[in-house]
Amino acid sequence: MQKLIYIAKRLVKAVFVLLAIVVLNFFLIRAAPGDPAQVMAGEAGAADEIFIAQLREEFGLDEPLHVQLWIYVSDIVTLDMGYSYRQDEPVAKLVFERLPATLLLTGTAFVLSILLGVLLGALAAARVGKWTDSLITVVALVFYATPLFWIALMAILLFSVKLGWLPGFGMFSVGADYTGFAAVLDVLQHLILPAATLGLFFMAIYARLTRASMLEVMDMDFVKTARAKGVAPARITRIHVLRNAILPVITLAGIQAGQLVGGAVLTETVFAWPGIGRLMFDALLQRDYNLLLGVFFVSSAMVILFNLVTDVVYTLVDPRIELK
Amino acid sequence: MATTTASEKPQRSARAQAFADFCKRFARNKGAVVGLVILLAVVLLALIAPLLYPASPWQMVQRPFLPPMATEGFWFGTDTLGRDIGAGLAYGARISLIVGIVSTVVALTIGVTIGALAGYYGGYLDDALMRFTEFFQTIPNFALAIVLVAIFQPSTTSVIIAIGIVSWPPVARLVRGEFLSLRSREFVQASIVLGQSNGHIITRQILPNTLSPVIVMASLMIAQAILLESSLSFLGLGDPNTMSWGYMIGAARTVIRQAWWMSFFPGVAILLTVLALNLVGEGLNDALNPRLARKGR
Amino acid sequence: MLRRICTLAAVAAATALATPAMAQTSGGTMNVVIQPEPPGLMLGITQNGPTQMVAGNIYESLLRYDTELNPMPSLAESWEVNEDGTVYTFKLKDGVTWHDGEPFSAADVVFSADVFLRETHPRLRVSLQHVETIEALDDRTVQFTLKQPFGPFLGIFEVGTMPMVPKHIYEGTDFKNNPMNATPIGTGPFKFAEWEKGSYIRLVKNEDYHVEGQPYLDEIYWHVIPDAASRSVAYETGKVDVLPGGSVENFDVQRLVDLENSCVTGKGWEYFAPHAWLWVNNREGPMADKRFRQAIMYALDREFAKEVIWNGLGQVPTGPVSSKTRFYTDDVRQYPHDPEKAKELLAEMGYDGTPIRLLPLPYGETWQRWAEAVRQNLQEAGIAVEMVATDVAGWNQKLAEWDYDLAFTYLYQYGDPALGVARTYLSSNIAKGSQWNNVEGYVNEEVDRLFNEAAVAFPDSARQELYTEVQQILVEEVPVAWLLEIEFPTIHRCDVKDLVDTAIGVNDGFRNAWLDR
Repeated sequence: MQKLIYIAKRLVKAVFVLLAIVVLNFFLIRAAPGDPAQVMAGEAGAADEIFIAQLREEFGLDEPLHVQLWIYVSDIVTLDMGYSYRQDEPVAKLVFERLPATLLLTGTAFVLSILLGVLLGALAAARVGKWTDSLITVVALVFYATPLFWIALMAILLFSVKLGWLPGFGMFSVGADYTGFAAVLDVLQHLILPAATLGLFFMAIYARLTRASMLEVMDMDFVKTARAKGVAPARITRIHVLRNAILPVITLAGIQAGQLVGGAVLTETVFAWPGIGRLMFDALLQRDYNLLLGVFFVSSAMVILFNLVTDVVYTLVDPRIELK
Repeated sequence: MATTTASEKPQRSARAQAFADFCKRFARNKGAVVGLVILLAVVLLALIAPLLYPASPWQMVQRPFLPPMATEGFWFGTDTLGRDIGAGLAYGARISLIVGIVSTVVALTIGVTIGALAGYYGGYLDDALMRFTEFFQTIPNFALAIVLVAIFQPSTTSVIIAIGIVSWPPVARLVRGEFLSLRSREFVQASIVLGQSNGHIITRQILPNTLSPVIVMASLMIAQAILLESSLSFLGLGDPNTMSWGYMIGAARTVIRQAWWMSFFPGVAILLTVLALNLVGEGLNDALNPRLARKGR
Repeated sequence: MLRRICTLAAVAAATALATPAMAQTSGGTMNVVIQPEPPGLMLGITQNGPTQMVAGNIYESLLRYDTELNPMPSLAESWEVNEDGTVYTFKLKDGVTWHDGEPFSAADVVFSADVFLRETHPRLRVSLQHVETIEALDDRTVQFTLKQPFGPFLGIFEVGTMPMVPKHIYEGTDFKNNPMNATPIGTGPFKFAEWEKGSYIRLVKNEDYHVEGQPYLDEIYWHVIPDAASRSVAYETGKVDVLPGGSVENFDVQRLVDLENSCVTGKGWEYFAPHAWLWVNNREGPMADKRFRQAIMYALDREFAKEVIWNGLGQVPTGPVSSKTRFYTDDVRQYPHDPEKAKELLAEMGYDGTPIRLLPLPYGETWQRWAEAVRQNLQEAGIAVEMVATDVAGWNQKLAEWDYDLAFTYLYQYGDPALGVARTYLSSNIAKGSQWNNVEGYVNEEVDRLFNEAAVAFPDSARQELYTEVQQILVEEVPVAWLLEIEFPTIHRCDVKDLVDTAIGVNDGFRNAWLDR
């Protein structure tokens, strides 16, 4: 019950944060030079005053700014994100069409990176000072220090162009019309490179964090006691150390999970993955105000949701922590 | 007079001793020493760039797409327009370091101020400032950086400001935490009782004691800022008047298969610099937080 | 008395195009890159590049044009013009139907030109100001009556300029918000099938197409791939067969062409004749001095740009009119790459080293590199240049507000100086808010007079005389610095046949294209 009240409180707070984000972004994007009418006129290759005025009127950009804001905010509280100017479709449709692709990519990368990262980190901590530790530490550090897009490019170069093993772009083979299992397999093939690239970077972070956190816990009295009592080292690592060392990893995972939605812009760009990050970048360049705000709205909502989930998971892993 | 000199001398030697200890602890971490050497080399490269390459890195000096080692004087090859990659690397070191350092200073300024105020005063101010911080953490930060640069239009200044704005929240949280714990310590309570001003206590009493973790964090932030700058440039959101490594990779992306060297060398340059900063950061951590130092080995 | 133009010759030409030496094979799927994703496919409402490229296969106009810009029949099978060039009569082809089965008739032409496009098409709107009435004489005959002769009139029947839209769907509706815009209906060789946003657009063969036996392809996929490097990979790995102009970075073109079974052509841009230049803000600072503008022309190494940045495709322009456009002359002052001459001119005018802002065109790597090369050229001649970074929206705004010193651009010429050249230099065309008018702020009454007279002069020999004179004046005065007659390379598999054979290239190319596999 207490948990439910807590969650409800957090949700109410979240609504206000979301509104604030919407308003901030509303003004931010309008501070950028140019407007969607000009961009679309520019693309058309020719336009006159009438044409641009028609567009502005159509988009409601001829209204005073505060009226536009009022209209937008009163729509957004009913979860209506409006229409995209450039693509002439409801923003909600565009966003939710792209969201699964991003969630698939980042979710896969996220799970992979957490599993591998924690595993490697734990391994390194258990063998601290040995060559396994050094190797893992160096590898993690190198991936942590490498620009993501650079690895992505190198991966395409090697696996797609030189070796021809994996597709280098897109989410499925267009025109192939696969169905059922073949279609799933097809998407999985396309998923490998981007998910691996994105995952490597996060894996490095988790490995480093797990290792550091475990070493810290190993120094604590209760572990020393367990060791003195003669508990098997493997058991100590598994039961005592990992369980306690996992908390900072969960914290980070919560932050990361939220950022996954917006943070995949680079990966999506290089691999032409039809996700929400790329949608945001295009919307920004085209000054597609509603679409950009919609993407920010949804991805911020995700961040808040994941933060909440993290906190709840926290209490499950460590019952001593109370929600307040 | 005599008493002052008497008290100063042991103090100085105590400081010297502390510094020597610090160096010793830092040097015990071999990785950190390697990192420091690389970092110094990068700084040196940035400083002597105009001596190594008197011409502008933008100047078209040879035929385009010259592979590395093929022509004397062009060990790193040339790019799409026949510009010297070597010159680009040398001048790029400058802007990467400048963006990294200045944006970190910006982030530290914002973060430390907010964190210190929140942690010292507590109460409603703390609540408000922490909501504000959370707010910034809720907006996807790379996306926010992109939007900010696009709005201000790409230039070195706008890139620095954007990176600073998206990087400060962790600093604020860290500093707030330190302030919260230090505030209740005896020496702070004593100063309060003695009637010293809040400003004095914050800047003279507490802040110096939070420096160790902040310094460690700063070294890692510079590394992150360099990565962020290169990512922005990669997307075409860099300053077009300064040669930077991120720009070079961005420009090389489309020709990566004809001219691997164009993106390879700047990529390695970023990798080494960021790696060096991380290693140094770990070394600083070991040296400044001796209690935890052992965990690295 | 009516003068009968061309009908025979044009029919002959069209027949020749339709039946090349080799026997076409029917069938097959074509995969093409589209970049960026079009905002819509209703060509009457949206006319940007990618829309024209896809929708050019769905919609048609009355005429098509060969690579010499001679009109050929399309929906009109013949046409006549009266002696003083003011009445044009078109005879429409029989048996043409819309994709939904409704018959196409003269009423559709009148509705499209006189009602629909007058409201939605800014470029055509300007040309139609010369037209007094548009009438349907019968179901298959349409007559355009002009206020006075208008030289380029027969050039405005290109599909992107005057697409025919179905009256039975649009009459009496709010054109821009008609739900049918999502599933466009035309008369063209391909029908709209589906559009997976962010991924692909699929067109399928129009089985009832009015040209017997055509088209040959069963379907066309237009793939949306947002990254230039990925587009290259798509071609390399065989996923796409055609890379239309501008879809990969120029620096990648040579490598892609060197692949097996890969061909490239710079043709197919004759109608548009994209002409690149630097806007020079004539209003302010040193740019107001003619000698400064001439110095810029001497400072630019335009051959280098053509060879290194544009793969040797295209041509260094002599002046405002492209060599592909009608009424071109090369009898003008020449500006070879000569930095010394530039320095002399700068010294003569007493240029004090005031820094000049250069605005690149934010259309990707090629344009960025080009701007960097130009900056270097100018700096070597002693002009201090600072590059201003911006995105498309910022670029549009800065030009529309005249907030620039030098700025890259390229504009289409649409086959005739009256359509695509005069607009840049007429002083009556100076107005904030647009980037297609006299943005540089050049004012010369003589130039105004020559352009205005040439547009309505009749016949062509009279126009040539006037256009030659105006070109000579402009090249001497350098209101803008002409950089290149662009030929965007179309890269395709060599076994894709007859892809580019008209003046608008890929835009209506799939009507004749077939696969030799």
